[in-house]
Amino acid sequence: MNDFFLILSVGMCVLVLFCLYRGTFGPGVLNRAAGISAIGTKTLIILLLMGVIYDRIDMFIDISIAYALLNFIGTVVLAKYIETTGEA
Amino acid sequence: MIRDSQDVIVKTLSRLLVPFMVIYALYVIMHGHHSPGGGFQGGVILAAGFVLLVVSHGLEQTRKRLSEKAAGVLSSIGVFIYAGIGALCLILGGNYLDYGKLSKLLPVVPAEARSLGILGVEIGVALAVMAVMFTIFLVIFTVGEFQEDDRSEK
Repeated sequence: MNDFFLILSVGMCVLVLFCLYRGTFGPGVLNRAAGISAIGTKTLIILLLMGVIYDRIDMFIDISIAYALLNFIGTVVLAKYIETTGEA
Repeated sequence: MIRDSQDVIVKTLSRLLVPFMVIYALYVIMHGHHSPGGGFQGGVILAAGFVLLVVSHGLEQTRKRLSEKAAGVLSSIGVFIYAGIGALCLILGGNYLDYGKLSKLLPVVPAEARSLGILGVEIGVALAVMAVMFTIFLVIFTVGEFQEDDRSEK
């Protein structure tokens, strides 16, 4: 069963690379913001899968909730900045 | 610079999320000794709640809940709680922050006094970190405008 979650995590890491491409070269600021936000969500899932693999899911859930909250705030602040400066 | 956001989605979501965030921060502070977290991390999550409030509901709404002056006072109170518990242990005849000696004041065994002492110190750290993080965020986010407002109030 652990092999299944390990393969799933590796697949998630490959998906992060696609989002990283969008975050680096994506045309415009909004594409970049969306790419970075998607990377944050995937990191969350990878953290939880690590928790399942190491059999300490109770610890990793705490970390991932905090990560999700900070990721959301980061995206909102970035959107506010774009709104204020008018760079779309 | 930071005016009230007109966006319904951001406003509603942050209104739902900020109370959850505060409760989660309290959980992180309280369970610091047997799960990841502690005073610093809980304080940062508390400050993040205020940052979300500033971004979504504007500076004026946030000032009603936590003004800059209150943040300054809270940071001093946090450091005072930390140093006060340490000095109390020193007065009771132990080392600095030797929580076991608190059992002379509290009606509990030394092991439980240790747990309570660590909790008190973590609450102090969380208050200080929350207030300082909030102040740093405000000063960076309201470059210059912050001080003009201050002067007009006087």
